[in-house]
Amino acid sequence: MMKWLMISCKKSTYLLSKKEENKLSWIEKITLGGHLAICSICRKFEQQTGFIIHHAKHVQEHTVLSVEAKEKMQSVLKD
Amino acid sequence: MPLSSLNPDQWINNYSDALYGYTLPRVNDAALAEDIVQETFLSAWKARDSFKGEASEKSWLYTICKNKIIDYYRKKAKDIIQPMAERDQTDAYFDETEHWTGKDQPGNWGIDYQQSVDKKEFYTVLDTCKKKLQQLQQAVFVMKYMEGLDSAAICKALGITASNYWVLIHRAKLQLRTCLEKNWINLK
Repeated sequence: MMKWLMISCKKSTYLLSKKEENKLSWIEKITLGGHLAICSICRKFEQQTGFIIHHAKHVQEHTVLSVEAKEKMQSVLKD
Repeated sequence: MPLSSLNPDQWINNYSDALYGYTLPRVNDAALAEDIVQETFLSAWKARDSFKGEASEKSWLYTICKNKIIDYYRKKAKDIIQPMAERDQTDAYFDETEHWTGKDQPGNWGIDYQQSVDKKEFYTVLDTCKKKLQQLQQAVFVMKYMEGLDSAAICKALGITASNYWVLIHRAKLQLRTCLEKNWINLK
């Protein structure tokens, strides 16, 4: 590949966030695509962060509020 | 389809635990999460006449709650004095040519990425790792990936530039991934 089309791993992982929002310029698309084609570590980064992001969206703790907290809320609503 | 209606008498019974469980991991503070849930009910109560019944009562309350969480970060951003650092600990993941160092490069997780995870365990580690991020990194991560805002909306809410945003979210993802690999994958 021509040298000016080569980008680093740091740059590639940076561009991956822009890619999520379709914010890559045409030159960024080409350079990122070229980098990912030859760099399995950055592909791994994309896959693993994708996994984290997917699960982060649904984070919900199964926990209950104290009775006091609920009573306080109830009293606020009554006013 | 009949329009849904509100049952404010049942709100606390039906939704307070769920809203609290939603808010807590997004703000990392029990007392604050309680306040946000309480304010959610209060705002909903005050706005009950404007409820048109197009959404369910539940999703209407969640929308209000989500707005409160974003509001919290919007206000907090003003108090964050720590400016965006020129250098970051994640810089060390890369060598002088900006390629991964052997030590910090993504390793093999040995899991099926499509497979479901033990949620409780994963959430606990994610929570711990998230708390280690710098405040602004934490704010952008929560708003982007847990609240689903886009970068433009986040920049506006936090008063940061787009280029700052891309650097912050990059660093947040780098650090979270490493932290999860260390504390979740490698300990499995």
